[in-house]
Amino acid sequence: MKKLLTASLITTMAIGLFTGCSTGEENPNEGGLKVGVFYYNFSDIYISTVRSNMDDMLNDLGMDFQNYDAAGNQATQMDQINTAIANQVDLLIVNSVEISSMDIADVAKAANLPIIFFNREVTDDVILSYDNSAYIGTSSSEAGQLQGAMIGQYLVDNFDSVDLNKDGKISYVLFKGQEGNVEADGRTKYSVEDSNVILKAAGLPELEFYDVKNSSKYLVDQGGNWSAQAATDYMNVILAEYSEANNNMIELVIANNDGMAEGAISSLQNVGFNTGSGKTIPVYGVDATDSAKQLIKEGKMTGTVMQDAQAMASAVVLLAENIKNGEDLMANTDSYNVDETVDKIRVPYSIYSGN
Amino acid sequence: MKIETKKGVTPEIKKISINQVIDFLLNNALFILMGIAIIYIAISNENFLKWPSIINIVSQTAAYLPAALGIAGCIVLAGTDLSAGRMVGLSACISASLLQAVNSGNKMWPQIGTLPIWLVIIIVMLVCAIIGSFNGFFIAKFKVHPFIVTLGTQLILYSVLLLYVQQGTNRGMAISNLDKGYATFVKGSLPFMKIANVPIPNYVIFALIITAIIWFIWNKTTFGKNMFALGSNEEAAKVSGVNVFRTTILVFALAGAMYGFTGFIEGARIGSNTANTGLNYELDAIAACVIGGVSFVGGIGKIRGVIIGVLMLRLIFIGLQMMSVDQNLQYLIKGGIILFACALDMRKYLVKK
Repeated sequence: MKKLLTASLITTMAIGLFTGCSTGEENPNEGGLKVGVFYYNFSDIYISTVRSNMDDMLNDLGMDFQNYDAAGNQATQMDQINTAIANQVDLLIVNSVEISSMDIADVAKAANLPIIFFNREVTDDVILSYDNSAYIGTSSSEAGQLQGAMIGQYLVDNFDSVDLNKDGKISYVLFKGQEGNVEADGRTKYSVEDSNVILKAAGLPELEFYDVKNSSKYLVDQGGNWSAQAATDYMNVILAEYSEANNNMIELVIANNDGMAEGAISSLQNVGFNTGSGKTIPVYGVDATDSAKQLIKEGKMTGTVMQDAQAMASAVVLLAENIKNGEDLMANTDSYNVDETVDKIRVPYSIYSGN
Repeated sequence: MKIETKKGVTPEIKKISINQVIDFLLNNALFILMGIAIIYIAISNENFLKWPSIINIVSQTAAYLPAALGIAGCIVLAGTDLSAGRMVGLSACISASLLQAVNSGNKMWPQIGTLPIWLVIIIVMLVCAIIGSFNGFFIAKFKVHPFIVTLGTQLILYSVLLLYVQQGTNRGMAISNLDKGYATFVKGSLPFMKIANVPIPNYVIFALIITAIIWFIWNKTTFGKNMFALGSNEEAAKVSGVNVFRTTILVFALAGAMYGFTGFIEGARIGSNTANTGLNYELDAIAACVIGGVSFVGGIGKIRGVIIGVLMLRLIFIGLQMMSVDQNLQYLIKGGIILFACALDMRKYLVKK
């Protein structure tokens, strides 16, 4: 009897597992375009904002779409794309894990499907290799340049109060999101270079990396995940050694994204900094996520560069709509900033410092 | 290790008691579950059982199979191998870097042309087999648990990978733009290997050959018998003359060679290789093995089970996608099925005790 009970319980559970959860964004609209949207990682904060915007817009258009999470793994993404093609999708929207993956374009080409890349920039030859492909993203140098301009200006205005130990130099730490990523490289390079240019013009000394022995002049998330956790871990180690008491406190934090900036702030708060009142180290990020904006509002963070999730989503959806209406993939994009030689749309960044 | 199959079979023609029926159901629960799953998915999405989809399932299974076959050996020894994923990554990066197109703008080693494919396969399998025997040596010599040893090598290999992708002209970029010959060798298909005009990629054939070889090693060689003897009872194996030291090293070396081969396939299949390639492959491979009844207790396991385990995992992956299950819930379902399948499987052994 007991066994019978177990068996029936197991069977119901099993069936429940398969039936109970079929809650995806299925759309009853049979005539709609069947779209597969492939995200590189659901756990990325900025990408999640794009996703919720895009979900709303695609729903409004009555598209039959489905979201996929590659969880940061290119192999998973390839498998998902192949499966979606076997499931007869009409359009691929891909936030590719690896930036130079020619294979995704090849697969789309072989299946004769239009493909829209977004956010994580693919190389020009990928887009050029297939007519029915386009990329929507930002210019990799712009975020760093804007961040640098913002930092430079802030330091020129507040140099003495930022220079805690009054040695006439600002010691900074920089958190890089990932090795070998065009965006991360651009942000890392230009944020420091551009603020140095402004500092120099104002007759002030250049920024100085807190650890002179570190020749790369940044600390990178070794998992390549741009994660807050990596920044917190680094910052905790740093703050154990560098403090006001030792007269060598870190005076500026630059992070490749808001997640890492937040990680650094949480660690700073452990030692009594950046709590909204009292001592504050300027911390800069990129993305302008909702939580970062909140921190800036509360005075716990200084500035970020806004990567406009909504504008990104609406540009992607515009191209999807083109396909739906049977138009050319790049139709109706006159108002956008498009690269000259290749079908790459650039969504502009803007500075965000709480206003 | 072979007793459990006999148990479910209905004995003679006497009366079949209800208990026997239930035993049969539970002992074959995995197959029944798989059947239910396939039928249900096929009903909710007709594309699931069309040829392109079936070949997609078979190809994905084939791609993940060699690594699982390798790790299965380690599990039979009552061990595990956490360094598998990183070895796959290392092998993928080495294969890709040695087989980049000559005219590639970002060729990692411009001074050497494109090597012959067979040579690269031998190189990566050898490199990984050596790393594997290093694992085996530590385990056998110092009696450190495989979990610890391979956790160590996993970390060491990540450093090796990070350093490797910065060598030559590459500077940490993804290694892509591969030689056409390499891509065709792996992803292409023989002219007659087509079903309903859908080509079957070559790596499915490779996986078949690898499976046949491993089956032979496990079942028909002294080494295979020794491996199972050692896994079920080390003392007994030692007393009956099994060379524990050599067998352990060989099992891990063989596993390494399998990861090396998987890396070679993945290098071309993914087409863009970084230090993160292969991340967490060992977890999927281990999950596949335990789902397929390769027991962590040691000394128990069949090639058939490994294949079913890999197929089951791929069915979950593809099925959930085809049923449009919300991706946020997919991890929950995958986790649930792994727990469920293994609990069912363990039940068989618990009953015997």
